[in-house]
Amino acid sequence: MSAPAVGHVAAQPVRSDAPLAQLERTRRALVGVTVVRGLLLGIAAGAGTWTLLRVARVLWLRMGGSEWPASDGAAIGVAVILALVVLAVVLARILPRLTTARVALWVEEQVPGLDYALVTAADPRAGAAERLAPRLGRVPWQELVRTASRRRLLGPAVAAIAALGVAFLLPASERAVHAARASDATTSPSIAQPTRPTSGPLAEIRAVVVPPAYSGLPRQTLDDPTTVAALVGSTVSLSGRAPDSGAVRAAFGDRSLDVLRADARWTTTLRMPAAAGLVRLSAPGGERLILLEPRPDSAPVVTLATSVVDTVLREPSGIIALEAEARDDLGLASSRWEWIVTSGDGELFQARTGTLGEALHGGRRAATLSARLDLTALAVKAGDVVHVRATATDRNDVTGPGVGASETRTIRIARPGEYDSLTFEGIAPPPTDSALLSQRMLLLRAERLVARMARIERQELVDSSRSLAADQATLRRRVGRLVYQKLGEDEDAEHAHFPGDGHDHGAEGRIDPDDILARADAATGGGPVVLDFEGDETPVVAINRPLLEAYNHMWDAGRALEIADPRSAIPSMRRALEAIQRAREAERYYLRGQPPRVVVDVAAARLTGKAEGRGSARTPLDPADPAARERARRLDAAAVLARRDPGAAADSLIVLRLEAAADPELAATLDAAARQLREGAPADDELARARRLVLPGGLRRGALDAWRGW
Amino acid sequence: MVSVQSTFVFATAQYQSGDWDSAPLVPANIIDTIAQYTSIPVAPTGVIVPLGSERLLEFPFVFLTGHLPVRFTDEERRMLRRFVERGGFLFVDDHNHDIDGAFHKTAVEEIERTVGPLRPLPNDHALYRAFFVFEDGPPTTSHELNGWGDNLVHEHLLAVTSGGRISVLYSNKDYSSEWNFHPRTKRMLSVDPTRFAVNVIVHALTR
Repeated sequence: MSAPAVGHVAAQPVRSDAPLAQLERTRRALVGVTVVRGLLLGIAAGAGTWTLLRVARVLWLRMGGSEWPASDGAAIGVAVILALVVLAVVLARILPRLTTARVALWVEEQVPGLDYALVTAADPRAGAAERLAPRLGRVPWQELVRTASRRRLLGPAVAAIAALGVAFLLPASERAVHAARASDATTSPSIAQPTRPTSGPLAEIRAVVVPPAYSGLPRQTLDDPTTVAALVGSTVSLSGRAPDSGAVRAAFGDRSLDVLRADARWTTTLRMPAAAGLVRLSAPGGERLILLEPRPDSAPVVTLATSVVDTVLREPSGIIALEAEARDDLGLASSRWEWIVTSGDGELFQARTGTLGEALHGGRRAATLSARLDLTALAVKAGDVVHVRATATDRNDVTGPGVGASETRTIRIARPGEYDSLTFEGIAPPPTDSALLSQRMLLLRAERLVARMARIERQELVDSSRSLAADQATLRRRVGRLVYQKLGEDEDAEHAHFPGDGHDHGAEGRIDPDDILARADAATGGGPVVLDFEGDETPVVAINRPLLEAYNHMWDAGRALEIADPRSAIPSMRRALEAIQRAREAERYYLRGQPPRVVVDVAAARLTGKAEGRGSARTPLDPADPAARERARRLDAAAVLARRDPGAAADSLIVLRLEAAADPELAATLDAAARQLREGAPADDELARARRLVLPGGLRRGALDAWRGW
Repeated sequence: MVSVQSTFVFATAQYQSGDWDSAPLVPANIIDTIAQYTSIPVAPTGVIVPLGSERLLEFPFVFLTGHLPVRFTDEERRMLRRFVERGGFLFVDDHNHDIDGAFHKTAVEEIERTVGPLRPLPNDHALYRAFFVFEDGPPTTSHELNGWGDNLVHEHLLAVTSGGRISVLYSNKDYSSEWNFHPRTKRMLSVDPTRFAVNVIVHALTR
């Protein structure tokens, strides 16, 4: 930086503190310049950033992108943050340097004529301010700050102004891109592009629907419809104000329709076809589409009430009551019962048909069909088969009549020879409810027997006691099965390995826990290594100990009962009962329906937070099928078109709706959107809903790779 | 009227045959695990839901275990079918750890008759990465390693899938025994064996 031009002036009396005061003013001025410079640089950086983002957005839109990932708010936020960062950097770099001593040095650098007098005067340790004041007064440097300010601020100011200017000019360019895209959308060849007149013969159209006479439905008038839904065969009249000049033309598909003019109105009439189609109306002012949506007349529904099932009769005589319910959406005309009798055997069959119970219903929507099938009158004989069904017709004289029939019921007359060949399949007898037998019940019976012992004969005592012993053995085997089930063997293990079942197994008697342990290890495939579970017990013994005790006590009780000594058996039976109770109360046994209720302290558990969780790999959306993509594209184009020409957009939606007849929900949504646009109301919600229906899973963007987690 | 649960509730299926309550501490343990590792809103206690009741449809995830032979009633079959048709996830664990055992044979038969065929679930299935990563598929249990039950280490879990979605997950690994301890015991373990339950539940709730 070159030194500014500094002139010399004549010596004047100078106050001793004047140079230092001026130095302080210079310092403050430099602080101010620094702040302003920081602000200008910040503005330039912020505006430049915002401008770059907008330029990128314009380029994105020009390249065909549909939606810029960053919103305006986000872009402004980024710009502001960058501006603040630049300001902070500038201030942080410069302000700490602007001390009095360094400012004095800077002034000395700019004005060499001071010969370090200012630095010396500014140093309080030198104490030379008063002495050097006259000398400093001779070298003016007041212009120094102004010159430096201009140089420091000019560049940042130009940059800030330029960035702001570009930023304000960009939106116009962006709007032009949007307009161009909208124009592109309207030129899509797959979308009908009639323009909707806001006035003229097509502005206010009225549709009058006259349903077929048989339906009994009332005449219907629709003002300005987008869709006309009516019964097939209905007369549909479309009318509007007749133009002063030119003519209205109408066509349904490829077929031209006659347009009549009367009473200052034009009218065209056609019958509701069986398939949906578009009526295209055109006039000098534009064109308009109206969708004709046929509603078919359903055939009657007939349901048999009686007889409920097919049946076989022993005798070819008697009267069978028949009843059925018939319903129709518009009205029933008549009903009857049809019967077929087939006779014969082998390859020789004859069939007779007939009807009965004919009835007229006069347009009622529901009716009960009743008849009596007289087998004697039908002259059926053994081996014949009678088929019966109810039928009903509706009053449709346009596309019908519709005929509905019930399912066919079959009534067979048995042959005499069938009675000597009845068979049945043997089934297993129902299992005895073994729950009736319990240790408590046996104990009560033993106690009663002991109480009667003095009054009964010896033989009766022996018989009763042995009966109890047999029941005790049965119960013991059940406990043994339970133990063995827990040990992993099959239910018959106890029978195969345990005494008391009447088989000769050699040394029969009480169960040894060590033996059980060995069996458990063998059953579970374990080796000789014993797992500690509770003290020095194995899990098997620990779990089953109460049941094993019960088993052994039962064995003792049974042995006493076998020798007709019920008094000695009772203590063992009580101990067995007590052991069973303990088994029920043991850790692994809970009464059915009453498991332990543990309430987890979720908050306490959550203090540990997430430990080693990892995001799972996500798979991208399946690509939409080409037809759905095409519908979505046309729907998008219609949505864009709706901003500029709601009428044309409504027509496009009606074309889409015609093709979406298989999807009633989408059809109704498109219809609602078209109606909204016709009425000049926003249809954003309906269009968004239609978009979701067209592509339920969203559209997979080809540019995005599958997300693979963090 | 079926209500919508906004909080995950661990539901244990109660069926009329067998011993549905053979692993009574599993629900509390898994609830504690879900609370520890995830931010899923979870009810502090589980519920027992009869398999044959309409209440079954209130829960997206249902756990079923037992040792004894399983025979569903007609109503239980009907409700289970409705449950999986509506997107429910049934996790069945063989508490016997025995492919020759009564539970396995009867439960598999019932599931296949009611829902559909059980097939081996590939060990690279998304289930094994739904939260924690189990590179080798289903984690082994100490009961498998100690040679209990059928003395096998089962390589795969079985599943009934429909349209790529698991509707029934079946295990022979005896997680019922592995997880049947009080949550407070977890602090004694070097590796928490219930982490796999997080994957099962997160997968059930997010797919």
